[in-house]
Amino acid sequence: MSFSDRPSSRLLQLFILVLLVGGVLLVIQQQHRVEQGKRVIQARVMTAALGLSDLALSTEARYTRHPVASDRVVMVMDHPGGIDRFPSTSFWAPPH
Amino acid sequence: MRFFGRLQNILDYAISGLRRKVLKNCAVFLVFSVVVFLFASFQLINRALTELAGEILDGAPDITVQQLAVGRQVSIPLTGREAVAAIFGVRRVDERIWGYYFDPATAANYTVVGLPGLLPGVAPKSWAQSEVAQLFSPGRPGRVVISPAVREQLGLDQRRFFSLYRPDLSLASFEVVADFFPETDLVTADLILMRLADARDLFAVPDDLVTDLLVTVGNPLEIDTVAEKIRGLLPGVRVITRQQMLKTYEVVFGWRSGLGGICLLTALVTFVILAWDKASGLSAEEVREVGVLKVLGWQTTDIIFLRFCESAVVACTAFACGYLLAWLHLLLFDGGFFRPIFLGWSVLRPAFPLAPPLVLADLLVVLAISVLPYLCATAVPAWRAAVVRADSVL
Repeated sequence: MSFSDRPSSRLLQLFILVLLVGGVLLVIQQQHRVEQGKRVIQARVMTAALGLSDLALSTEARYTRHPVASDRVVMVMDHPGGIDRFPSTSFWAPPH
Repeated sequence: MRFFGRLQNILDYAISGLRRKVLKNCAVFLVFSVVVFLFASFQLINRALTELAGEILDGAPDITVQQLAVGRQVSIPLTGREAVAAIFGVRRVDERIWGYYFDPATAANYTVVGLPGLLPGVAPKSWAQSEVAQLFSPGRPGRVVISPAVREQLGLDQRRFFSLYRPDLSLASFEVVADFFPETDLVTADLILMRLADARDLFAVPDDLVTDLLVTVGNPLEIDTVAEKIRGLLPGVRVITRQQMLKTYEVVFGWRSGLGGICLLTALVTFVILAWDKASGLSAEEVREVGVLKVLGWQTTDIIFLRFCESAVVACTAFACGYLLAWLHLLLFDGGFFRPIFLGWSVLRPAFPLAPPLVLADLLVVLAISVLPYLCATAVPAWRAAVVRADSVL
């Protein structure tokens, strides 16, 4: 059995393929980060000029739109025993 | 060389063994990859958002002062402005009125920010100076700057005028003098910026109240001291420093969130099931195989190493597959699987690429939580298989 026919050499080929795909993804990631860097500079300037305190990621609830500047204990803010019903809140840990 | 030759032979045999049970191993590979994909995707999104928040909020105000009453945030009296401005070390105090405007027609929530003028610092390069001057110049009320997403929601197209309802249901008219650039969507996606007087008029806020005070401190080293003085000076206020904002965003995307818990629990349950499957006993075929190998001269350590190789091949290939898919998911599909969850029912959805940094510690965490438990879980069954006596099974 030649080296290239052995199962372990196939595994090695797979490993090299993984590294190649990883390398391509790394190049794409670097491109994205350059673009993100430009956005961040603009957003930071805007944050400073307008005194903004939060990211506009989720606009559905005040405590996910402004986790810093809104009330912190929010689950029962609307009324005692009020159920937290917004999907995005499952992504956000309670600040402490 | 002899060691590598032996390693290659055992690896060859291990892979051939995996091929013989191709269906079962494919199923394990698939489940393993999905779990690693979920776990890594969540972790990478967290990393990307935390980094973004840290970099962008670096420009946030030094101190934000809010009034609390019966446990909720309420408007703060303007009298507090003079008191804060008199504190030694405070360079400037700006009042601000901001709030949410719910548009019943589109079910969108806009964030309305009213300022007396731009805060000190770098002038936004993305705005033409004339437009900024137009917004904050005295005499002409009702001018606003909006984001492209708000323009779209309001259905303005190229029009400049629109109206919003005051609390008494009368209409307040506004003229759009500029748009925020799409590049700033991360902080301005839902923003309507206007003068303080216009925000006061829109929300019917009394003349002596504002939403919060933004304090600029001369020396950054004195921020905490000034914050402490403000707390002592104004009863019942909440004082938020920039450092606290950054700390909040460091913990807000984390494993303590509901979704993070689900991902962790999924990973845990999956690996328990996989380990249980491995540990639940040896099939007759496996026992016979070990017997034959022993008759052929294999040692107990060789068989344990063989089983370890089998597990390592499955775990490492599944890990590589899941981890690469997680990166693909983020870089090419903008985290499309998780994005609907963290955007929730938001009508205004900011478009921004997610580009987390490549952090070795993150990779090691995923590796430690997936591959290591699997390898550990297979150690005991491997040992049990290896100590089978050849004469008892043949």
